[in-house]
Amino acid sequence: MADLPELIVSAAASGCIYALMALAYLLILRPTAIINFAVGEWAATGAFVGVAALTPLAWPRLEWPYAAALLVVLVVLGLLGWAVEVLTVRPLLRRRAAVISPILALLGVLVIFRESLTLIFGADPLPSPPPFGFARVAIGPFAGASQQFVIIAATLALFLAVWLFFERTVWGRAFEAVALNRRAAALMGINLGRVTAAAFAAGAMVAGLAGLLMSPLTSAHYTMGLPLAIQGFTALVIGGVGRVEGALLGGLVLAFAEQLGARYLPIPSGLTLGFPFVLLIIFLFFRPTGLIAARGAN
Amino acid sequence: MRRFYKPVLWLAGIAGASAIAFMLGNYATDVYRKMLIWIALALSFNFLFGIAGQVAFSHFAFAAIGAYAIVILSVKLSLPFGVAFVLAIILCTVLALVVAIPATRLEGFYLALATLAFAQLVTVVLNEGGDVTGGTGGIAGYRLPAVFGVTIRGPWYTVVLVLLVAFTLFILRRLDQSYFGRACRALRDNSPAAAAMGVDIARTKVIAFTVASALAGLAGIGYAYVDNVINPPVFGLENMFLLLFMVIVGGLGSPLGAIAGTVFLYLAPFLLEPLVGPGFLVVFGVLVVLTILFRPGGLAGLLSLVPARKPA
Repeated sequence: MADLPELIVSAAASGCIYALMALAYLLILRPTAIINFAVGEWAATGAFVGVAALTPLAWPRLEWPYAAALLVVLVVLGLLGWAVEVLTVRPLLRRRAAVISPILALLGVLVIFRESLTLIFGADPLPSPPPFGFARVAIGPFAGASQQFVIIAATLALFLAVWLFFERTVWGRAFEAVALNRRAAALMGINLGRVTAAAFAAGAMVAGLAGLLMSPLTSAHYTMGLPLAIQGFTALVIGGVGRVEGALLGGLVLAFAEQLGARYLPIPSGLTLGFPFVLLIIFLFFRPTGLIAARGAN
Repeated sequence: MRRFYKPVLWLAGIAGASAIAFMLGNYATDVYRKMLIWIALALSFNFLFGIAGQVAFSHFAFAAIGAYAIVILSVKLSLPFGVAFVLAIILCTVLALVVAIPATRLEGFYLALATLAFAQLVTVVLNEGGDVTGGTGGIAGYRLPAVFGVTIRGPWYTVVLVLLVAFTLFILRRLDQSYFGRACRALRDNSPAAAAMGVDIARTKVIAFTVASALAGLAGIGYAYVDNVINPPVFGLENMFLLLFMVIVGGLGSPLGAIAGTVFLYLAPFLLEPLVGPGFLVVFGVLVVLTILFRPGGLAGLLSLVPARKPA
């Protein structure tokens, strides 16, 4: 049990990444009812854009400071998310295509992003420098790579900001109104197109941030997207699709179940790869609302 | 006239597709056989997705179960091929039922997620199955045994695959044109209305899923003896996406479209890869997005003389 504190740090960091992915889904799913599997590829895109800005990969001798790279990632991903919404989702929503159409079109977008990443950055993993070096950090018994603490801190800060946004701002209220009832929201003068585009931009930014935060631990690789997409979705289903807090809780529950299970359960470690899928199935069948239920329309 | 016309068309199709088998070299035979497997899978997936409206990501998982079952039963447990074959089909059908009964209760895309989770679990089990499944390397070094004293080799195995496709198409056509097919379409388009008309929703969904998945298992059995190698990546999510794209590009709900989409997307890489390199799949992604945006009827919509229905 001596390694338990370190395991907790590592599980919390993974859980925060899952939570960010779940949040990326949630930001898009709430106002539009569209499940966007491409968020995984957006995370990979975030990682690659970050690497391009931070290392002498794209512009020789121009290694940007971390804050600038972070800003570049957020701007690029925001624009990409917005563009995807305008080009693929909006025409489908406008002509009232079947609910499944945008979801399938976004699977096409997923492939476009992934293969473009391979074409642009190659098929080999690219190392990504962490903002505070590779030093180990210890807070009491809790020790881990500095990046793991960066992930935890950044995720908690972002979730607090998003929670405040939904609870305290008019824009957040508009999002929530659209999520509860698109038609009524439109009648109240909320611009549906703008909310949908903003949802995609925000989802892409959050996913890109998750990819950037994770890349120092795993390197940027074009296959990193799909596992993140699945784990993020599992986290979302566990936590509940209705609330921001649910995404955070779901991510942490998933990561702790995975890592504690792999460490302490007497089963071959390969089989623990199946954990998220078992959890996903259990929650879909037995608790489809997740751990935290959505707020009703009242 | 029509009475004669149809069987003649079927026989001509089977004879034509079989004749090709005798004209191909080794490499082309391999390409052709895999294309036939893809077509068989696309036909059943088209029925499940295009006609019954179920987005299930488990289609390749059932192909894997069929392929692994036949090889494990006939090679590792040395059962007679006929027995192994029947048991493999039964296994696929029972597992499909077990998945279908809870999964088809899930609405819309949640079915996709549950079946995706099931498919990923199957992949994990195949990878971690130790000696039984051969782990990541899979199972190799077996051959199709003599069935009732007949040894099928070379182009004749390709003919078997042609018959497999014809059988799949035949079963699905019969289902599609029966009460059951109309019930499936009604369910897909408007399930409350279908229920009001007396369609048993749960039963129809479960049967559609089970039949399509069992046919996927059958295609998997056919695949097991194409290379005489089976391993987990073949049955992974990548190919599932490709199958989905084939059916979408071909035109949802149309068997001819499924065949056209499969042939098109299966053969396209042979042209594209030398031109574009390893990222050629980007073209597929663009194609799918464009199809959904501008031609929801897919290739079938382009081919048919009847003007496409207004996009749903």
